[in-house]
Amino acid sequence: MSAALRSFEAQWRARQADALQPIREQAMQRFLKLGLPTLRDETWRYTDLRSLAAQSYQAAAGEVRGTLDPGASLSLVDAQASTPTLVMVNGAAPADADAVSINGFEISSIRALSKHDYNSLLRFFPPVSDADQRRWTLLNTALFNDGLYLKITGQVTVPLIILHVSTGDSAQELAHPRIIIDALPGASATIIEHHVTHGEVAPLNNSNTHIALGKDAQLEHYRVYATGAGATHLDALDIHQAQGSRCKQFTIALGGGLVRSSLEAHLNQSGASLESYSLLVGHEDRHVDCVNIVRHAAPHTRSRQTARAIASDVSRVIFNSKVIVEAGAVHADSQQSCRGLLLSPNAEIDTRPQLEIHADEVKCAHGATTGRLDPDMLFYLLSRGLDRETAQSLLVYAFLADVLTGMSVTSARAAIEGALISQLPDSQILRKFR
Amino acid sequence: MLEISDLSARVAGKDILAGVNLTVQAGEVHAIMGPNGSGKSTLAQVLAGREDYEVTRGSVTFEGRDLLAMRAEERARAGLFLGFQYPVEIPGVNNVYLLKAALNAKRKAAGEPEVDAYEFLALIRQKMKFMQMSESFLTRGVNEGFSGGEKKRNEVLQMLVLEPKLAILDETDSGLDIDALKVVSMGVNSLRDPKRAVVLVTHYQRLLDYVIPDQVHVLSGGRIVKSGDKSLAHELERRGYDWVGTQVA
Repeated sequence: MSAALRSFEAQWRARQADALQPIREQAMQRFLKLGLPTLRDETWRYTDLRSLAAQSYQAAAGEVRGTLDPGASLSLVDAQASTPTLVMVNGAAPADADAVSINGFEISSIRALSKHDYNSLLRFFPPVSDADQRRWTLLNTALFNDGLYLKITGQVTVPLIILHVSTGDSAQELAHPRIIIDALPGASATIIEHHVTHGEVAPLNNSNTHIALGKDAQLEHYRVYATGAGATHLDALDIHQAQGSRCKQFTIALGGGLVRSSLEAHLNQSGASLESYSLLVGHEDRHVDCVNIVRHAAPHTRSRQTARAIASDVSRVIFNSKVIVEAGAVHADSQQSCRGLLLSPNAEIDTRPQLEIHADEVKCAHGATTGRLDPDMLFYLLSRGLDRETAQSLLVYAFLADVLTGMSVTSARAAIEGALISQLPDSQILRKFR
Repeated sequence: MLEISDLSARVAGKDILAGVNLTVQAGEVHAIMGPNGSGKSTLAQVLAGREDYEVTRGSVTFEGRDLLAMRAEERARAGLFLGFQYPVEIPGVNNVYLLKAALNAKRKAAGEPEVDAYEFLALIRQKMKFMQMSESFLTRGVNEGFSGGEKKRNEVLQMLVLEPKLAILDETDSGLDIDALKVVSMGVNSLRDPKRAVVLVTHYQRLLDYVIPDQVHVLSGGRIVKSGDKSLAHELERRGYDWVGTQVA
């Protein structure tokens, strides 16, 4: 047993039982049996966790030392706009979570809800699974202290921000943020999960978000990784969609040292539609590993995946996506488009779009390309008199446009664009295009 | 204005140009014709400074300067313009942004201040009207989703905004219907000026009914094998390129 596993087990033994104990028990037993994923596991073949496994971890405290300066990190909203923000420190729900009132939302802590409505919570904890992409979710289920449950009851136009703050005294601490987003039939909202670091070091962050969309519900969901360069972040997102529901999901990797981001979408009923956008920026020695699995489990379901990966310096970016069309999911319609742009000879991008089809009469397309800047485009711009740096920057910017233009929260788009540009070569030139 | 002497060039290890000689004076319009694969587009791209096209011999001077020693962007700023046979689509880069950046790069090189945003938009609208282009052009990406005809109009529009001293138009007429051909020709003719020169690279004589050349050259096997006045174009149309080949042999 690795040092990490021993420390997880010690934490498990030390914790007090709560209302979720049966679920936790199952998850922990399975996790201990399976162990940490290794390079031999299908979705982990590009990310080596051996150095992580050699460490011991203790639970991170759910509070900030010193004062939290919101200006210190990237701000995704207009300073003027009154955007409701929930702050979660190392996964701890705000103490007053149950008292927070935001129009169109019902908010509570998962722990509080588990005490009086245990049965309705169960559906947000799917059965334990041996799948390697779900390994860390098992640990999260077992060890998460408390999390946030957000019920969307109305049609909300103002975005809601969840600011996840990672903070601690050492990287040998461990946090398990857990969020449940439950959209009632016909409800709609925009939710931005924003991950930042406070202070020099950050705990190992193992976060999980579960989204359930009722009939005809609509959600625009963002997860923005903007943690510090030393941070390790393992994040999983599960989306379950009912009939006619629509989800637009943005995954933006702008920070962190090691980021592992997974998405598993279940299009469970007909007419469910998912648009997933991934913007993965490799910078310095960052390692970004993104796995998308989209299951079409019903007829007339639709998915679109657009991924753009940029790698500079000695960074590495991985994007694996898999579309599974289950038997009976006739007229499923899926597209996967992944493009990678290498900006340095020592950077690396790996992409792998996959299809697994068990139904007839489906429409599935996928494409993946990785390369350097297109020499024809570059020559065209140079032949118009643009200097080389400007021409290159312009093409990099254009490369990202497909993802950025899909965002409907303009303030978030502007902030993300700004942060992104600062991590690209020739950022001064790029700023002029904004 | 342009003096090409014994120019030979190679693309992907293959010799394409084999000793081109050509002199273009200010105020003139030259047409370079020739069969497919004769090296017409290679000549245009070499003159514009495409780096992966290797010049193996010869020299080119542009207004007395050594053109081959200049980078593509320097050539553009010095007043050379290439109208592409296949204009590149660049989604995400706005047409107007490109035009403005191009114009400012040229002005900066000439020691002039950047163009005023308001004046610039007025200028673009005026040129767009002249080229009979739709307003939607202003918000679209460079050549993004343009039809063949729209792309060619866009090339001419860029040329009109940049006002080059030497315009090299590579098959700007190909793929155009007769109305579009007239608009494009009008654009080219509007640039005719005693201080400028135009080189039309074309496969067909059709364009030359609207833009009357001072000289016509036939490029074959990477060399100019015959030169003459505009009547040469008509003769080529009637007798085909084989006729010139026979003459040379």
